[in-house]
Amino acid sequence: MKSKAINYLIALLLILLLNFILPRLMPGDPLTAIYGEEALLSMSDVTKAELTQRYRLDQPISLQFSAYFQGLCKGELGTSYYHQAPVFDVIMSYLPWTLFLVGSSFLIAAILGTLTGFEAAWRRGKRIDRFLLTGNIILFGLPSFFIGIIFLYFFAVKGEWFPLQGAFTPYAELKGIPNLMDILEHAVLPICTMVLFFMPGHFLLARSSMLNLLKEPFVLTAKAKGLTPQRVRYVHAGRNALIPVVTAAGVQLATRIITGALFVEIVFAYPGMGLLLFQSLQNRDYPVIAGTLTLVTILVLTLNFIVDLLYGKLDPRQTHAH
Amino acid sequence: MHIKVTQEIRNSRSGGLGIIILLLFLILGCLSPLMMKQATTQTGEILQKPSLDHIFGTNDVGQDVFARLVLGTKTSLMVTLGVMVLGMILAVGIGVSAGFIGGWYENLVMRIIDAFLVLPGFIVLLLLSAYFRPGLWTLIFFIALLRWPMGARIIRAQTKSLKEKLHVQASQSFGAGRGYVFFRHILPDLGPILVVLTVQFARTAVFMEAGLAFMGIADPRMISWGTILHHAFKFYYLEVWWWLFPAGILLSLFILALTLLGYSLEKIIEPRLKNG
Repeated sequence: MKSKAINYLIALLLILLLNFILPRLMPGDPLTAIYGEEALLSMSDVTKAELTQRYRLDQPISLQFSAYFQGLCKGELGTSYYHQAPVFDVIMSYLPWTLFLVGSSFLIAAILGTLTGFEAAWRRGKRIDRFLLTGNIILFGLPSFFIGIIFLYFFAVKGEWFPLQGAFTPYAELKGIPNLMDILEHAVLPICTMVLFFMPGHFLLARSSMLNLLKEPFVLTAKAKGLTPQRVRYVHAGRNALIPVVTAAGVQLATRIITGALFVEIVFAYPGMGLLLFQSLQNRDYPVIAGTLTLVTILVLTLNFIVDLLYGKLDPRQTHAH
Repeated sequence: MHIKVTQEIRNSRSGGLGIIILLLFLILGCLSPLMMKQATTQTGEILQKPSLDHIFGTNDVGQDVFARLVLGTKTSLMVTLGVMVLGMILAVGIGVSAGFIGGWYENLVMRIIDAFLVLPGFIVLLLLSAYFRPGLWTLIFFIALLRWPMGARIIRAQTKSLKEKLHVQASQSFGAGRGYVFFRHILPDLGPILVVLTVQFARTAVFMEAGLAFMGIADPRMISWGTILHHAFKFYYLEVWWWLFPAGILLSLFILALTLLGYSLEKIIEPRLKNG
């Protein structure tokens, strides 16, 4: 467990170091790379001098890094010239939408994918299994933005059943239930896209891990005791089949979820971290780009770490193996 | 570990289908020199629907969409191939040397690998690209650099177990050098795993390139399925389906082919599946 924590710490340090070194590695004034050319042109000399001092750009690199690191610990990610606001505040206004989108679609996809995966495994080779398997393998290859584009095109552009973009109707000033309905209506297509994108991972894992268990003696024992099929499937086999579902592949899943969400938000112009990143890349708003990516990395690393810890809890063999 | 890869693929329907699709892409990619002119000339006929002149219509500056798709195929194939070769060299070199040499070197390599594996690769790639705006070769280099640990880990484990095999020990006791043992005994037995890894490398490479291009941070001169989607998406409200969908479908088909191939080869790293 300790060595795992060290891995995450090294990874975190690596990404922070990259964030620190990259702008300073670029040719020319580091301030240009940190703030972008356009922002720098509009700055007065006084501001420039003040910024040079804040980042200690006139001092040795080691002092620069310690200044950067100390600032980071206090949540200082710099100031966005495009938004005219501290980067941290900008990100915080976008983050909740991403969490809402990711959280709800992950929950739906996990439940749907795992249940269908288990059921398909118990009906191995039957028509329904083959149908689900083929469907999920095909879906597994589709990039999230392409699924999103298809949904957007057919359900919002062609058939005008859902709003084209955004998370709510702007300037409508809705309150209470209508507001909630408005938000839900805007979330339907992004959530459906992400569910279709996440589900195959859960399905394939759940199916194959259940298949591995079907021939285990304890499953046979449970059946022989005369337990109902539901009880055998979900209480006896299901619990064990869940182990791989939240493991190593679960680690990759966190990465997949976050990157998938970034793209889906871009397609539906949904005001989350992905859209923020996309806009900042186009505006060359470097402080926001760096800040967003740092925060997203920390989010992914934390999620992965939790998954790793959960794994140990679910499967005691894992903690005693080393 | 004696598995015939070709046999494995031939025995499964999905593997065969994957190979056929990939071959079709290869043929399509080979057409690219013929399409260069059509793909870049800006005719006055903008946003045309598919017709006999332009079978997939034209884009916002009147370039032939089909020709651009063919060029995009070539780009994707090159990224895939590049990452496969470079990633494999890194993975084999580092993995085998770690398994062979052992000691502090192995510990150090394993630390690096473990740290890399928990990093979200695509996000690091985004960060790098935001500053460098990579072209084709830089992109290949970045993706390979981020993805080698995936393979190095398995290769190291495999090397360690192969090293203890009798025939390897025998050849060493006859005075075979490390290089000889590596090329004569280790590499051939690594074969099947390397094939599986190339498929995985290819998958991530295509995904990453397309994603990056869709976000609009690839080199703007590069023509790929991702950049086509990126540009077409700006006009989605004009219902430009002929421009928007084919690139996405090709991309999905390519990834599907690799998934099918990978699925048929899964038994190589998970022998338990064989009797399952």
